[in-house]
Amino acid sequence: MKQQSKSRVQQINEIKKLIREPFLFISILVIFYLLIVFVLFPIFQVFKTSFMIDGQLSLKNYRDVLRQSYYIRPLFNSILLGLIVATIGTFVGFVFAYAITRTPMRGKGIFRLIATFPMVSPPFVVALACILLFGRSGIFAGAIGNIYGLTGLTVVETIAYAPTAFLALIGVLQAIDPSLEEAAMDCGASRGKVFSTIIFPLALPGIVSAWLLVFIQSLADFGTPMILSGNYQVLSVQAYLQITGMFDLARGSTLAILLLVPTVIAFYLQKYLLSKKSYVTVTGKPTSATIKNLEWYIKYPIYAMCFLFALIVLLFYGMVVWGSFQKLWGVDSTLTLRNYVQMWKIGKKYIKDSLLLSLIVTPITGILGMFIAYLISRKQFIGRNLMEFSSMLTFAVPGTVVGIGYILAFNNPSFLMPVTLTGTSIIIITLLIFRNLPVGIRNGVAAIEQIDPSIEEASIDLGADSGTTFRKITLPMITPAFFSGLANCFVRSMTAISAIIFVVSGRWNFITVAVLGFVDNSQYAQAAAMSLLLIAIVVLALGLIQLITNRLGKGMQSFSIIE
Amino acid sequence: MKRTLLIVGLVLLSATVLFAQPAAEKKYSTLQMYAALDTEEAQYYIEAFEKSSGIKVEFVRMSSGEVGARIEAEKNNPQASVWFGGSNTDHINAHSKGLLMPYKPNTDFELAPMLHADDYGWNGFYTGAIGFVTNTEFLKKHNISAPQSWADLLDPVFHGQIEMAYPYTSGTGYTAWATIIQDKGLEKALDWWQLLDKNIHQYTASGTACIARAGLGECAVGIAFSHDIVAKGVGMGYPLVMSFPSEGTGYEVGGVSMIKGARQVEEAQIFIDWCFSEEAQNLFKKYSRLPVNPKATVAEGAIKLSDINLIDYDAVQMGQRKDEFVTAWRDRIGK
Repeated sequence: MKQQSKSRVQQINEIKKLIREPFLFISILVIFYLLIVFVLFPIFQVFKTSFMIDGQLSLKNYRDVLRQSYYIRPLFNSILLGLIVATIGTFVGFVFAYAITRTPMRGKGIFRLIATFPMVSPPFVVALACILLFGRSGIFAGAIGNIYGLTGLTVVETIAYAPTAFLALIGVLQAIDPSLEEAAMDCGASRGKVFSTIIFPLALPGIVSAWLLVFIQSLADFGTPMILSGNYQVLSVQAYLQITGMFDLARGSTLAILLLVPTVIAFYLQKYLLSKKSYVTVTGKPTSATIKNLEWYIKYPIYAMCFLFALIVLLFYGMVVWGSFQKLWGVDSTLTLRNYVQMWKIGKKYIKDSLLLSLIVTPITGILGMFIAYLISRKQFIGRNLMEFSSMLTFAVPGTVVGIGYILAFNNPSFLMPVTLTGTSIIIITLLIFRNLPVGIRNGVAAIEQIDPSIEEASIDLGADSGTTFRKITLPMITPAFFSGLANCFVRSMTAISAIIFVVSGRWNFITVAVLGFVDNSQYAQAAAMSLLLIAIVVLALGLIQLITNRLGKGMQSFSIIE
Repeated sequence: MKRTLLIVGLVLLSATVLFAQPAAEKKYSTLQMYAALDTEEAQYYIEAFEKSSGIKVEFVRMSSGEVGARIEAEKNNPQASVWFGGSNTDHINAHSKGLLMPYKPNTDFELAPMLHADDYGWNGFYTGAIGFVTNTEFLKKHNISAPQSWADLLDPVFHGQIEMAYPYTSGTGYTAWATIIQDKGLEKALDWWQLLDKNIHQYTASGTACIARAGLGECAVGIAFSHDIVAKGVGMGYPLVMSFPSEGTGYEVGGVSMIKGARQVEEAQIFIDWCFSEEAQNLFKKYSRLPVNPKATVAEGAIKLSDINLIDYDAVQMGQRKDEFVTAWRDRIGK
């Protein structure tokens, strides 16, 4: 991301260049149309609802909200929780990513699988396991203090969202050429020096963006605080409850917009930080990727941390597995298959729908996300920042609000969207695409920014147009990030809940909605059984994607990290 | 030329077959429904309805509050025709916003005035009273008996041990709050609740969450509807006991209503009629809801409204003034 000031002449030249490339020009227009309709328009509707009272512009909703301690306290609670979870989560994610990419740790495949496990289930499942393990009458009652509040939320959200950081960082660390470290070591630098002057600065954009992703996810999460927040109220839940509990769209929208403030600040802070440095490591020059054995005092603490986190994850999910076979979770531990039978009877249709819709959504999101990442990090055009900002937005806005925004925006034909979308599969598909897009874009941007633009410039100088350059040069280099984006998108689609619950219909429904139904009904065992089925489907899909990535990865020397 | 004619003929013929088929078979459209009951329970009733009426139903399960928010957001282009289940206070609230379409169901018995809106904007098809659900192991450990009155809940032994739903997120929570208002008047009710709040461990979003939580020992006492306590607590095998406040308690009427602008009006009417039939009302046994049709049989273990001390619950006032009462609660309790 280069932020030099440009003269007018340069700007005009850029526009001319753009017009000379019709494919690029039209794609930019189409993407803007899509972003306006499916991202900005619904959110605008929410803004409108919060600022308009009986057709008059008014700040009354904001005055009402800011006056009440029960609206303000949750705002600060949310931010504090987000800061803690993002920091711990990014740290855990980084340690895991480092262990997988840089150390000769054994059983990487298993660790990797375990680390991504929490992503493949809705977080409220982890929260339930937390109650059964550490609750007042849990197996380890009192071991981590009172779980209803900040402590419990931190534990569960860290488990749930550290994998996001891990997935974002593994692509970044993989792209850092180990020969740089080799060179530094050969020149006599210590391991610590190599880390602090090479790996850390090179990974910084990835670390910051991972931190940001976790921070935003924590702010928007409502599944966990719904179950564990106790008296530590957070804003996402309050916005959700305001809308679903009090039918109060206006104040719910107002609270949601307050939740946007820290997100927007975080977003621009990150942009500012990243604009200052260049992080090029893949330069097209030949590399031989080897890594020397690490010193024991670095290796073993890292192994220990990975092992501990993996153990915690296994403990939580083991609880879910065990619970799913119990006659009455927490009371009668007679083993039974009844929960699975009941779950299947009710859940067949939900599973079929979720699977079909997610399979449609995933490739579209992956390609669109990578393409937008390419545009915003490689191309100069008017509105580039707007494109980046708006494509990030659905990720920052709490799902409930996106859901309500979609209903407000698409329940009637409008000049932007001439047909009604509510009740169709299209509304679910578009919502999922545009809600998952930011993850793909972030991954893509992080990957692309490590590729020296001169490789692409060389291609263009030799006569290839943007499309060919993207396909033949950029695309192969960002393939790992692309597939991790796909995996991410599929998982997020299958486990989406907060926004989806507003756009599902009798015709098209979603598995997570059914799980939430079970949880609401306190049928924890059936909820666990259905979550496990969901996890099984997702793990299977992840395995397939991994297999494909490995196949493709064979041709790419510079990305393989030797154990 | 001959071939063209043949093709045209074939196309016409197949078109006739294609279009004639559904016209002959299709008598009813598929009924679109929002169900504020649990998925499994809703499916149980709906399957029975599909079998007896031949009308196909597609439903989305949501909490009562979510249904309200959704039909309000969709009011210009309603996606569902029937709102099935949920406290009548929520139906009354939605009705006062003009979101429902009155329909007087065909019943073979007289529907009591408390079981419908004056203009039949909503109709009540089951009832249940607010009760206490207590963990028996907690009682044994402290050597006390289950709370028998609202006043018992203030006992310090229950400090940080009582759970219930927020009055603003759940019909259950609101009914409990409305009961206290009706018993004491708003000001005194707020004072009393401040005392109760000291013993509250946490408020939950869902009305039934506290039942299983009491069963698991995460809290000692939950405040919930009797039918939920039986179906989701005592009946499931949790170590729980149900009791009712001696001062009198509030109750809910479960509502079913037609959404304004419904597309499947005839099908919706048939469904609403069916909800009051002896066949449908007998199905409530499985989930311990109290039927309103006098011919229906009551589940074992379920408490009849005539067996407990009820306050003279004014559902209409409580529904219409819900926003005011809930705001007063939040301003005082601060949650």
